[in-house]
Amino acid sequence: MAGQSSAVESRTGNNLFLRGVAALSTFAGWCSAAMIVAAVAITCQMIFVRFVLNQSTIWQTEAVIYLAIGSTLIGLPYVQRLRGHVNVDLIPLALPKTARYYMCILTLSLSIAMVAVLLFYGYEHWHLTYERNWKSDTVWGVRLWIPYLALPVGFGLFLLQLIADLVAVILKIDKPFGLEDV
Amino acid sequence: EELRLSHQWSNTDIRHQVAQMVADGVAEADVDLEISIFGTQSLFKAREQYRPLSRGLLDMTVLPLSYAGGQQPAFNLTLMPGLVKNHDHAARLSASPFMEALEEKMADDDVMVLVHGYLAGGFVGKDACITSPSDVEGLQTRAAGKAFEQMLAGAGASITSMSSSEIYSAMQTGILNAANTSSSSFVSYRIYEQAACYTPAADVALWFMYQPLLMNKSTFDGLNEDQQAALMAAAAEAEAFYLEEAKKQDAASVAVFEEAGVEIAEMTIEDFEAWRALAQETSYQAFVEEVPDGQELLDMALAVE
Amino acid sequence: MDPLLLGVIVAVATIIVLFSGVSVALGLLIVSTGFILIFDGMRSLELLPEILFGKLDNFALLAIPMFIIMGSSIASTRAGADLYEALERWLTRVPGGLVISNLGACALFAAMSGSSPATCAAIGKMGIPEMRKRGYPDGVAAGSIAAGGTLGILIPPSVTMIVYGIATETSIGRLFLAGVIPGLLLVLLFMIWSLYSTWQSGDKQLLNAGTYTWKQKFEILPRVLPFLGIIVGVLYAMYGGIATPSETAAVGALLCLLIAMIIYKLWNPKDLWIVLRDSTKESVMILFIIAAAGVFSYMLSSLMITQSIAEWIGTLDVNRWVLMGFVMLFLLVAGFFLPPVAVILMAAPILLPIITTAGFDPIWFAVVLTINMEIGLISPPVGLNLYVINGIAPDISLKTILKGSLPFVACMVIAIILLCIFPGLATWLPDVVMGKAI
Ligand code: NA
Ligand code: NA
Repeated sequence: MAGQSSAVESRTGNNLFLRGVAALSTFAGWCSAAMIVAAVAITCQMIFVRFVLNQSTIWQTEAVIYLAIGSTLIGLPYVQRLRGHVNVDLIPLALPKTARYYMCILTLSLSIAMVAVLLFYGYEHWHLTYERNWKSDTVWGVRLWIPYLALPVGFGLFLLQLIADLVAVILKIDKPFGLEDV
Repeated sequence: EELRLSHQWSNTDIRHQVAQMVADGVAEADVDLEISIFGTQSLFKAREQYRPLSRGLLDMTVLPLSYAGGQQPAFNLTLMPGLVKNHDHAARLSASPFMEALEEKMADDDVMVLVHGYLAGGFVGKDACITSPSDVEGLQTRAAGKAFEQMLAGAGASITSMSSSEIYSAMQTGILNAANTSSSSFVSYRIYEQAACYTPAADVALWFMYQPLLMNKSTFDGLNEDQQAALMAAAAEAEAFYLEEAKKQDAASVAVFEEAGVEIAEMTIEDFEAWRALAQETSYQAFVEEVPDGQELLDMALAVE
Repeated sequence: MDPLLLGVIVAVATIIVLFSGVSVALGLLIVSTGFILIFDGMRSLELLPEILFGKLDNFALLAIPMFIIMGSSIASTRAGADLYEALERWLTRVPGGLVISNLGACALFAAMSGSSPATCAAIGKMGIPEMRKRGYPDGVAAGSIAAGGTLGILIPPSVTMIVYGIATETSIGRLFLAGVIPGLLLVLLFMIWSLYSTWQSGDKQLLNAGTYTWKQKFEILPRVLPFLGIIVGVLYAMYGGIATPSETAAVGALLCLLIAMIIYKLWNPKDLWIVLRDSTKESVMILFIIAAAGVFSYMLSSLMITQSIAEWIGTLDVNRWVLMGFVMLFLLVAGFFLPPVAVILMAAPILLPIITTAGFDPIWFAVVLTINMEIGLISPPVGLNLYVINGIAPDISLKTILKGSLPFVACMVIAIILLCIFPGLATWLPDVVMGKAI
């Protein structure tokens, strides 16, 4: 459950695959945080340029939007690793141990299928923008494949982390839904 | 059979009325064809409509064609300063070889035009009137469209980008000194409460934006002859209505601003020529550099009397 | 198929999927994808990434991570403790000083943070142990902070107001102002209840706070000034013509980070990372739900469900207050299970036309909606603030926290009733500052 003070990570044990994915997700988390910090800095720069220097601000708004989108998509795997995606765990809590285990396998598999779909179409969409060299319809005219790259990369890493979570539950390294036995 | 039409406007907007006329006309023809309208961005966001349209995932849309300028740079010519002088000139452009050339480019994206139409707009100033290029120097300005930003920057204005819904509060708090957008947006966002002076589209106007009703070409070709005929008939009727209403919009916006006690300024022919000379060095130049057959298209547009 | 019947099927499917324990965002995506696949066909799935990306393609949304950074950077310092300590020293004449100071600190902190969990955590970390040490009942200690924390989304800045403003094209600056007086009203109601229940628990000693010398009162002031500076600075930037509300968020985030680093010596990269980690965690979670809810509302609209429900409600010939009663009941129930942003994004497109047609003010409705969402934050089964309190004070049982929070829910219901009787509580301030509504 998302709480400020708790940052319970999913467990990796000594499993190399799990640890590798965890490291990747953590790195993605750093990138995500860095993009938001950059967005803060650019927005402040934009206010300065406009209010103090009274000059044009052509690229800032767009850059900041793409950084925020990038931060969100690239941050997905890390937040998954921190169990930060809110869920309703009323039923899982009420289920007996075995049923909870199978419920967890089911929901993780569904999540994996969903993110795989997003990854597939996200890649296609990115590839199209790259191939046709589409640009944003502004003076800055960003080549859109750059911000859209966050789609395949973010969903790809997210998919990996979800698979790792499934593996950890099946190998009994982590508890279903991260719930401790009561 | 059902067709889906998406647009970004409210159901009192002229562009919705155009879509509704086509939908009603087709329904009356009783050719087993129904058009469902999804307004106010309830299906796709404004700038997200062109791609689904070209992929056949959306059947029809009413949108400023320049929104797709990032995919087809030639479309940027449909929002170029000083290219269109007035509404009748706009109608002649729509029927010219220039538009045919653009329609060929749309056909590459599997898109066709059902209803042609241009809407005009003007300028507002928070403290003073904006008629000639020297009036915008040093002002924080929000412009509608890439080419206008380039021209205004060339006149020494500072350009800032924000959505049209933010213009009101930005002018109120003083972040913005001037703005340029369509006559109807000025009215619907109640900009007259924040402006000291309004320069509307009158005998001459700088800002014209091409906002056609588009359809996916394959979807159209897949209809039977009766359905196609009904669509074309309804579209022709809507196009005539669109032109007449577009003219009325400008006058109506002037009335609203006048009633609110806002000064109304007029752009003279000399002002217009000064802006166009500036545009030639800035936005036209940038366009020609960006688009391989840009000069040719520009010449075709300029050739329309 | 009849869109209304289809709507019922979608609702049931959504409930089943969300209760399975899958994350809210992915759950919404799974349901949407399923229905798009069945009714619009496989090819329509290629729209998914574009819709997701497009929903996030909005400058105003950027304010969300930034207002969250504001909160989490201050929350990582001793600032929360300083705030309520200062308030306590100055409020010695007021009975029940400590709980009053904590609630006051929540309100002040809420003015620096856009989110509720951050407000809750910041004040609760010091406030709850302190209150319990001095003998306040566990229920009052936990409940007051859980409820006080919810002010984070009512007192500006507010993440949910931003989302509402985007979903309904309402001025965010105006929405922020609308939350101020209802926020203060809620603080007052919370204080009254806290005092009453402390008094009722029998330990009248608690109501007499210690006495402080003028020296003690003044020496703590410098520690509070920076926060007042942030609040004034942000308000000035927002309403004084320097930046739009969304841009102001960046100024606020920068100021808060700087104050945390300079005044609270938050230099250690590890500590700084905790600030960024917590805010990344919360904002990515919220923004992904926003994107997913966007796909969900695309699905509802594409299947004509949104339009049909709105039409159907339009044909109901009921009193506007009966209508409002049902709307609030729906919001309340949705809020029990779903995080505020998800509720707002799914409900706003359907509800807003109905609300405005019935003659209700969209700004006023935003405030009522937000208070409904605050109730959801301190009610099971998904009550973010309850879990935050549980994390801060693990030895207070969830049951006690819940029991302690319930009376505060009653305060919120009273506030909603007062707002219905006196809509001006919400609309007066924005009208005065920004002129009559558009
Ligand atoms: Na707040
Ligand atoms: Na709840």
